[in-house]
Amino acid sequence: MADTFSERMIDLNNVSKTYQLRTGRKVILNGATISLPWRNTAVLGRNGAGKSTLLRLIAGIEEPNSGTTTRHKTISWPIGFRGSFHRELSGIENVRFVARIYGQNTEELIDKVESFAELGQFFYEPFKTYSSGMGARLAFGLSMAISFEVFLIDEVMAVGDEKFQRKSKSAFQERLPTSKVIMVSHSMPTLREYCQSGLVVHDGQLTYYEDLEEAIARYRKLNA
Amino acid sequence: MLRLATHLRVIFALVLREARVRHGRARIGYTWAIIEPVLMISILTFLFKQVGTGGANGRDFALFFATGVLSFQLYRNTSSYVSMSFDQNRPLFNYPMVKPLDTALARFVLDGSTHAAVITLVLCFQVFALGAPSPNNIPLMFLALLLLLLMAFGAGTSLAVVRRFMPSISNVYMVIMGPAFFVSCVFFSISTVPTLYRDILVWNPLVHGVEGFRTGYYHGYQDADVNLFYLFTWVVGLNFFGLVGEWLTRFRSV
Repeated sequence: MADTFSERMIDLNNVSKTYQLRTGRKVILNGATISLPWRNTAVLGRNGAGKSTLLRLIAGIEEPNSGTTTRHKTISWPIGFRGSFHRELSGIENVRFVARIYGQNTEELIDKVESFAELGQFFYEPFKTYSSGMGARLAFGLSMAISFEVFLIDEVMAVGDEKFQRKSKSAFQERLPTSKVIMVSHSMPTLREYCQSGLVVHDGQLTYYEDLEEAIARYRKLNA
Repeated sequence: MLRLATHLRVIFALVLREARVRHGRARIGYTWAIIEPVLMISILTFLFKQVGTGGANGRDFALFFATGVLSFQLYRNTSSYVSMSFDQNRPLFNYPMVKPLDTALARFVLDGSTHAAVITLVLCFQVFALGAPSPNNIPLMFLALLLLLLMAFGAGTSLAVVRRFMPSISNVYMVIMGPAFFVSCVFFSISTVPTLYRDILVWNPLVHGVEGFRTGYYHGYQDADVNLFYLFTWVVGLNFFGLVGEWLTRFRSV
């Protein structure tokens, strides 16, 4: 069903993922095989179906229990993620660390994030002194500053005050010609705004729909 | 090749990050790394001078305790620091190129070089300022320390792996490492121990690291019971358990 003419984004080959819970094993994926084309893709599924886990498998943060994942594009961490920022390190030091692990030009990246996040002098202060809005701006600015070919978005898209939200949105629009998104959201308007295709997670299986509306229809049926 | 370059880049970035946060950015910071052993050596020297004797066999007390404390701390500090590397860096595993073993290696590099600097400083101070005898066989001292350091890495990763299932293992380790100070030849020499106890003590691999270090430092040190190969078997065993264990339990990494 996948569009065979476009470029590949990621392949999952017979991927299984389970979690050990106190009351038994929870199966998230059960031998899922899929090849996603490089398109804006919405991830749909009921609560607890494993949408976030799927994003983490795609990002390469988690290893499948069996099977393989192959990435053909550079893929971001779930954007807006800021758990990795060390409390004692300043914004600039936290950015420098990420620049180094991604092999980016450190000074260039720092300049980009500094001008985007608009933290002023706080950019040089420890992260623990940041308000939650400031932390979110730093995290979003950092995600946008690296030219990923695929951005992963888990629920949250809008951060900061209204002005920053507008800025984020336009920064994101600028990226869209060269980058695609894989997006988890329960808001259909948001998904329709950004995505053309859909991926439904249900019962340990993945089903790809080239047309988002078909995916939404299937998702509605699951919820009925 | 590309993957190796990525690992090296990540480890380098982690070393710099850990160096910034290691001591909670206290003003005193890295000076603590040198104050701790110096304080311990001073207290031991003072105590044993009061008693008048000890296991030092008439040697320069301060130097004897320095060789013991420095080599023992290299092992103890590095192993417990490495054992916490998966837990304390957990959020960083959200960056896919950061793997648990990278964080362990970064801590190994950072603590290894910190201790190497401290050991060099303290021993140089004793030789040049306090007139202690100069070391006899530096390569042998280096070998003993290297084996201790590698064993610390093996023990640290093994503990980190067990912590994935049983976090309380760290408490058990602390309980073991407390008395270890007294049975690892830190302030006495294995050759002064009565045979009955000596046969038990030589099972402790740290004895061979600490005494191996002294065998290198002192000319004509009694080394009949020191067996660096025995220490090496521990290095291999612990590293095997740690590395294979990490690989087998990597699904639990996050």
